[in-house]
Amino acid sequence: MSVMEQGTHSLIELLETIADNKYVLGDRLVEVGVSGPNLEATLSAIAMAQGELGHARLLYNWCFDLKGVKGKKPDIQAQTGKAFQTAVNVQNWISLIASLYAINAAIDIVFQTVLKTSHSKVASRIQKLVREQHDHIIYAENWAKQLLLDQGAVPYRFQEALREAAEEAKAWLAKVEKSEELKKEGYFPETPSFTEKFEKRLQQLNAEQLVQAK
Amino acid sequence: MIAEKITYDIFARINRGDNLMHIGTVEAENSELAKVYATFTYDEEDWTEMVVVERNKLNWVKKPDWLFSEKGAEAL
Repeated sequence: MSVMEQGTHSLIELLETIADNKYVLGDRLVEVGVSGPNLEATLSAIAMAQGELGHARLLYNWCFDLKGVKGKKPDIQAQTGKAFQTAVNVQNWISLIASLYAINAAIDIVFQTVLKTSHSKVASRIQKLVREQHDHIIYAENWAKQLLLDQGAVPYRFQEALREAAEEAKAWLAKVEKSEELKKEGYFPETPSFTEKFEKRLQQLNAEQLVQAK
Repeated sequence: MIAEKITYDIFARINRGDNLMHIGTVEAENSELAKVYATFTYDEEDWTEMVVVERNKLNWVKKPDWLFSEKGAEAL
């Protein structure tokens, strides 16, 4: 396999992982989000599900283009098996918010880095997605803050769910930032520092809560 | 939930130069969530401008007595 082909292969794998996670999150946002804690949160969860599924579709179609699929794109019946287990296992509001926050924050870090590179064709494909995803992150972040300040067992259960989701997302980021093919193709700089940025983001979330709780 | 919900009024404009219309309300814990809720709830138009305003922050110039206010009904 040539370097160019290896680069394309790595890019497809990256995009499919993101698409799979968005596909699963879209599904979970409908299944679990429909019984959200209040009307506004529920309506937004359903609207966001459409957004996540739209993002997944865009990324899958991009992968088909990269694979050289001509004409009508195949229907997407299921994820390709690369979605995070924590996302697949989302069963309640707490784990939904934890996964939504961890996954979208991780994806945002990767895409923000890609946008800063000189790949104009890539940038044009993801600019709208990144903009829309920003709202999803604000939503998840604000709900995460609320759950961390809630009463009873909720803060502990949320912290546990967030820890699990964040660990999986961080492991993925660590794998992605080591990809020499993607660096060679110029999608990332030599030291993308994805895991470091991700940790900072999580620390910020917890630190804000500690300040508010005092 | 610990955080109290606040009522936000939502105003939007379809095209540039159009009147700014009151299109509805959302209840949210903070203005960040209010903006997100407004975006996702009132997405029937491709608004040029949309703004959320905390109802308590409105500076009333004129305010009529609401119907049944004597009986203790609260309008706002």
